[in-house]
Amino acid sequence: MTQPAPTPTPIDSRGPRFGAGVTFVLALAALFFGLLLPLEPTLLLRIASPEFLLLLVVWIAFTIGTFFGIGANPWALVFRHWVRPRLSKPAVTEDPRPPHFALGVGFALSTIGLVLHVVGVPYGLIVASAAIVIASFLNAFVGYCLGCQVFLLLVRVGAIRPKSPIAR
Amino acid sequence: MLALGITGAVVAVAAGLGALWRVTSGRRRRGDGERFAPGELPGLDDLAPGATLVQFSTELCAICPATRRYLEQVAAERGGVRHHEIDLTHNPQLAQRLRILQTPTVFVLDPAGRLTARFGGAPRRAELADALDQLVPQPEWNL
Repeated sequence: MTQPAPTPTPIDSRGPRFGAGVTFVLALAALFFGLLLPLEPTLLLRIASPEFLLLLVVWIAFTIGTFFGIGANPWALVFRHWVRPRLSKPAVTEDPRPPHFALGVGFALSTIGLVLHVVGVPYGLIVASAAIVIASFLNAFVGYCLGCQVFLLLVRVGAIRPKSPIAR
Repeated sequence: MLALGITGAVVAVAAGLGALWRVTSGRRRRGDGERFAPGELPGLDDLAPGATLVQFSTELCAICPATRRYLEQVAAERGGVRHHEIDLTHNPQLAQRLRILQTPTVFVLDPAGRLTARFGGAPRRAELADALDQLVPQPEWNL
């Protein structure tokens, strides 16, 4: 057996759930405006539309979290500086990799939604926003991490091969 | 208004999925009587005299560590019960063979290695206790 890489420091598991709550509100608003307003005829109008801008904010947070670490995610920063000081000590901590992986899933979904909207594909942004609404709702309010469940399926089909054991 | 209605319907779908997960997760299912020989499951060379709790996890499973702590506690409380964890991240073939679609999945094995119960998700307290009662007496009864 090869020596496993060191496991990362556990994080307060309320952080990712708080972030999912913010994502839920923004994606819900994007979904609503996407349904309310007709698909704008020109590229410039589509980029300036409220549904695009709302999903863009979600995308920026997902992108930072995915590529610069879960702690760099804007919602994680808000949680650390404004929310966590008002809460009691963390009841539960968790390995940061499952929620980090879930951010990557969110990044992929929001990228698809934004690209389809810019190109002018009807319902592209709406379907992507709806998927993000459902996943973030489950994460924030039910404590079910859909992105993490997808992980085993991806491992089974051989799409992913990670290296170190689970953090305790 | 249609937009508001559809938006609400999407949230309702999410709430429904959440409720479905809460209701179905961690339920006890009967084992199919499949028997695991010592050494057949990775790292599990000998079985406990009462019951062996085999937990299947992955690296990116958020509730696996909490499930591990819970099962270790159960094993400490009941004589003859042991907890054993298998990481499926490096063993997708095993997940395939045992038809494991989610983590944690927990197998309850009797001393002969027969699968007497399986749980998809973190096992419910009462249903796990029920499965163990059939194999090992409760702590109070040991007196």
